[in-house]
Amino acid sequence: MRFMVIIKSTPESEKEGAGRDPQFLHDMGKYNEELIKAGVVLAMDGLHPSSKGARVKFSGKNRTVIDGPFTEAKELVAGFWIWKVKSLEEAIEWVKRGPSSCTGDFEVEVRQIFEMEDFAPMLTEEEIQYKIAKRAELPNQTANK
Amino acid sequence: MRFMMIQFPKVYETAKPGWVPDLKAMEVMGKYNEELGKAGVLLALDGLTPPATMSARVSFKGGKSKVTDGPFPETKEVVGGFWIIQVESREEALEWASRIPASDDEMVVEVRRLFDLTDFDPEVQKEIQKKFGDAEKQ
Repeated sequence: MRFMVIIKSTPESEKEGAGRDPQFLHDMGKYNEELIKAGVVLAMDGLHPSSKGARVKFSGKNRTVIDGPFTEAKELVAGFWIWKVKSLEEAIEWVKRGPSSCTGDFEVEVRQIFEMEDFAPMLTEEEIQYKIAKRAELPNQTANK
Repeated sequence: MRFMMIQFPKVYETAKPGWVPDLKAMEVMGKYNEELGKAGVLLALDGLTPPATMSARVSFKGGKSKVTDGPFPETKEVVGGFWIIQVESREEALEWASRIPASDDEMVVEVRRLFDLTDFDPEVQKEIQKKFGDAEKQ
């Protein structure tokens, strides 16, 4: 099963020029190499600080755009992996082995990703196959790996 | 440049284990996704199960880890899913985000730029490419 492993932001990761500390990059690089060797990683990316981002609030027909940073938000995303593992426990084991050089306290959230088969009671086999095929065409889609 | 559109649906804060979106919502979202695909901006997308289904948090404090199983009832703004799009500008990304078909529920979508190789110093770029090569390109 696939999991999205979300690295939550810290005051450090929200700073301009975040994610470029050489020691951190080196250790994270080593960890990522291990994950790749083990065949666990399907995708990974880091996000620029929220100061460069924006939020769109939806309420009925209204759309409100709010520019970052989102200092009041506690659940900001700093980066993520998509992993293919056998169980939630295996994912947690990998998270615990992450580089210890990350300064300060931080939190990682592990969430299961929907597979098209999860919609089997609602969608017909034909619809599921159509959706799977459509997704497989996307350049960076991980479900087809 | 690549942007991640992160969806925070209100319903995820209280969703029961095994929750799936309803068929109507899926159809409407499917149409929007097809539009993204046709426009050639969509790189990847996925939906997450709500935290009540299967999830955990690992918090690190002073180098020590602590595992907490989901759901996380005290949490506001739970990630529900994401799109990764490749567009020319932040404005274009916001344009696409504003067109997401929201259901009756209130929802927030966050638009965040992803780090690209060119954001790093030239020496670091070389090291990343050497180490990860194709893996980094995905």
